[in-house]
Amino acid sequence: MTVHRLASDGGAPAPRRPAARTTKAEFLARIRGEMAKTRGLFPASPAERPTQPRQRLDLLRRELSERCPQTLARFRSEFERVAGVFHRVASASDVPAELERICHERAARRLIAWPAEELGVAIAPALSAAGIAVESMPHDRPPDAERRRLRALIAEADLGVTGADLAVAETGTLVLVSAAGRPRTTSLLPPCHVAVFDRTALVESLEQVGLVLEAWHDGPAPPERGAAINFITGPSRTADIELTLTRGVHGPKEIHAIFVDGGLGLHG
Amino acid sequence: MSEPIVTTPLRERASNALRDRFLHEALDIATTKFIALRREAFGDFPQGEALRDRARAIKEATLQRLDAHLETLVANVERVGGHVHFATTAEEARRIILDIARRTGARMAVKSKSMATEEIHLNDALEAIGVTPVETDLGEYIIQLAHERPSHIIAPAIHKTKGQVAELFSRELHRPGLAADPEVLTKIAREELREKFLQADLGITGANFAVAETGTVVLVTNEGNGRMTTSLPRVHVAVMGVEKVIPSMTDLAVFLAILAKSATGQKLSVYTTLVQGPRRPGELEGPDEFHLVLLDNGRIAQIAGPLRESLYCLRCGACLNVCPVYRQIGGHAYGYTYPGPIGILLTAMLNGPASVKDLAHASSLCGACADACPVRIDIPKMLIELRRQVDEERIAPWPERVVFKAFARILAHPVLYRLGARIGRTLQRPFVRDGRIRALPSFFGQWTRTRDLPPVAARTFQERWRDRS
Repeated sequence: MTVHRLASDGGAPAPRRPAARTTKAEFLARIRGEMAKTRGLFPASPAERPTQPRQRLDLLRRELSERCPQTLARFRSEFERVAGVFHRVASASDVPAELERICHERAARRLIAWPAEELGVAIAPALSAAGIAVESMPHDRPPDAERRRLRALIAEADLGVTGADLAVAETGTLVLVSAAGRPRTTSLLPPCHVAVFDRTALVESLEQVGLVLEAWHDGPAPPERGAAINFITGPSRTADIELTLTRGVHGPKEIHAIFVDGGLGLHG
Repeated sequence: MSEPIVTTPLRERASNALRDRFLHEALDIATTKFIALRREAFGDFPQGEALRDRARAIKEATLQRLDAHLETLVANVERVGGHVHFATTAEEARRIILDIARRTGARMAVKSKSMATEEIHLNDALEAIGVTPVETDLGEYIIQLAHERPSHIIAPAIHKTKGQVAELFSRELHRPGLAADPEVLTKIAREELREKFLQADLGITGANFAVAETGTVVLVTNEGNGRMTTSLPRVHVAVMGVEKVIPSMTDLAVFLAILAKSATGQKLSVYTTLVQGPRRPGELEGPDEFHLVLLDNGRIAQIAGPLRESLYCLRCGACLNVCPVYRQIGGHAYGYTYPGPIGILLTAMLNGPASVKDLAHASSLCGACADACPVRIDIPKMLIELRRQVDEERIAPWPERVVFKAFARILAHPVLYRLGARIGRTLQRPFVRDGRIRALPSFFGQWTRTRDLPPVAARTFQERWRDRS
């Protein structure tokens, strides 16, 4: 059957015959037809999903807070195993100084960052005073010209500073949810990525990440939530030329994580 | 029928590969390393075996309700503002993607490594309408510049030396005199491809998984090109085989725990990217449009077919690394998009059993592939099934069929078997040297050309058993 084609932007109709397109109904019907022919299947079920993921997650968080020191130690060792650089500071107010040190070691002058509300700490004043330009990402989508300016800025930045929604001890992974004010490119385009996190982000295993993901998707998404969730396990790497491990092929060459003992939060 | 027909016979392709000394060495180093890394990763992970069983069960359970899961996936992708397309054939998939490219006025497409787009030969089709496809996985980029095809599912350019890559980059990228140093070459690729990422209108990816309950497409990469491709261009098209759907995020966690361990021995690949439709209002980056192309191309027919289990495949490449045949001849000798043991099954699925009449025999049936497979696909069983099919459909040459039919009869009847053994003992006499048959005349010489054969024993087991009592 012939299906409506999407309108072409380019004025004159294309000199092609409209070709038949498989519809969803046809496609699924064929699958059902084949499924009906299957014989002798063994019973199998997918992984059992938590029925009330949000409540389960609250429970897990309480349990995790008791094992926090061990979880952090494991995270640190796995993060370092994948070539991450781990830092630890006493309180949020120590974060700018730590960032300044990282910048100075790399002669980094241009820094892009999530805004203070998203990071849970204001870094711009202290760093600007130290002569490091900090551009905070906007909280809503600006007009195209400003977007182009920002993208160029992100692409040229020496360092990108983000928070982290999860820090997974089993694998040394940071999980970042994109959103307004948290563009996905902050942790991707600059050659060095620094993530700031505290104990609330720590989980032990990928299995627990499964529960968190279920909870995040339970019910309608909050309106400010973005469309991408990125798991980051060490710096960008490749071994495509003679299996020689090389870092920073497309993403950052370096990744740092700053753990804040006293916790993040602008009013905390 | 989606693939160009390979012109040289398998035997010739394999012989050429065997004569390539560098290829041989590279394959040996790469596969040995991958095997060790994989073993180490699972050694450190006591729950690995149980998770493999669970992953297998999830794949089977998903297939048993594939229609429902796909329907859920489609509904959820559309709910978050994505478009879903249904492609019965490779040709239809290409047509869908070309239409998107034309409608959006795309000039350049960046591609994250994807076996599905290799399978449908998308690049040539894009070029034909004036859209420049750029492969962005370093290995894929190398082979695209060299006008070759990937030779390994996860390490597409393992057949190339750093010297060859340096020469290739110097020539194709107009940067003469590049050092044969992976660090330098990777840096060059970063610069070249960064430009392309920032210019491209279209980002094309495959999908390692698609989570039905949330409408999320999951991409796993080490380089970050998957993230670039889904963050920078204004349109993102993901192409995936229908079998890639999984029910929930809980299932995803199971697969993530075993996929990278099986592929590269990492606990997790560097980047796992979960994309749910186009960018949301307020998001600075991310595509304006998101399209998901669901690809059949022979898969649906196998839901009730003999190759059903190959629909579990995660494309991790573990079966290639352990296969004694792959390790000798490499990926190109297989002649199609998907190499290695699983590749034979996938080739049969995409192109019909006739396409693997020789390939079905490119296996010693040793079972290493089934042991290595994270979802325990019984590849040898299906290879045997394919051989049977090739025989039944009279695809194999007739002398071969006659000989094997006779052989099967003899083996099935005790009287014939004993008679055969006696005749064989007499007939083999002129050919036995030092206890082996090393050369047979005429037609049978095919067998002994590259291997020898144990002779029929002077006395059969049954004869010895009788004498003993």
